[in-house]
Amino acid sequence: MSEQHSDAFEARTRALFQDSVDNLDFAMRSRLTQARHAAVEAAGRRAWYLRWTIWTPAVGVTAAAVLGVALWVGSPLGQHATIADGQSNFEDLELVASSEGSGDTMEMLQDDIDFYDFADKAASPDPAA
Amino acid sequence: MSTPMDTLNTACMVWDSLAPAVKGAVLEYTRELEKFLAEIERRAFRMAQVALRDSDDALDVVQDAMIKLTRSYASRPSAEWRPLFYRILENGIRDLQRRRTVRKRVMTWLPGPKEDPDNEAQDPLDNVADAAPAIPEKLMQAEAMQRLEESLRALPARQREAFMLRNFEGMDVAETARAMACSEGSVKTHYSRAVHALREQLGEVW
Repeated sequence: MSEQHSDAFEARTRALFQDSVDNLDFAMRSRLTQARHAAVEAAGRRAWYLRWTIWTPAVGVTAAAVLGVALWVGSPLGQHATIADGQSNFEDLELVASSEGSGDTMEMLQDDIDFYDFADKAASPDPAA
Repeated sequence: MSTPMDTLNTACMVWDSLAPAVKGAVLEYTRELEKFLAEIERRAFRMAQVALRDSDDALDVVQDAMIKLTRSYASRPSAEWRPLFYRILENGIRDLQRRRTVRKRVMTWLPGPKEDPDNEAQDPLDNVADAAPAIPEKLMQAEAMQRLEESLRALPARQREAFMLRNFEGMDVAETARAMACSEGSVKTHYSRAVHALREQLGEVW
């Protein structure tokens, strides 16, 4: 069998096969199209799933970090930390709580009472006198 | 200092910018896959039909191959899809032929009327004469194709695979070797023997 004859034979079989492919009936073409769509749809769903599984850990870690920060800032511990940073509230408390300050205040209060008592007596002389 | 709401908004913006990119990648991938399958589905179906002599079985095998390719191998580069698809298809054809052989053996042992799976009940409409006048050239082509199909079925499976993949699908030797999971040397041998056998059987007609 010569090379030329072999090539012609192969070309003839190829042309016959291609002709039978081109002349597939409409019903079979339609069924093939349906099969293809089903496969592609399944592939699309799978691709979404695969990409989702890739991105979900990243999104999950970000969300966890955000939640952690939000909880830390909103917690009582966080608020205490904020007051301590300012120092002013502690200083006020110290002033009020100190024994020296409280003694002065009580002495001043006692002076005021004696003065008001004297003024009251001076303004209204004893009716019996 | 940024508040938790700012951080949340930033995270949402990052996700919103990623979502279209993911969607675009998936759309492009499915479009490429659909194009590939549309390109080969009819030839693949005819090859399966030649091997199995049954349109429904051929369609089932092709559909299975499509789904298996998309499920297991679609993440591979698209250049690898064709040999992979035909490898899956040939495996499916071989499995179906094995099941048929087993079924035939079992049927011979069972009592009752024997049923030949290859000789299924035909639709009566198939026997109705076509109203349109037959074109002689078309008839000759149909007859020649029928002879070719019979000769292909008579070949050993590996020779038939090599001939159809190389000659009908237009694969080169390396691609055919990947599809058949064998060496390039084996492909050449199978193909050469197939051409020789077919020439002997069909030579006097062509």
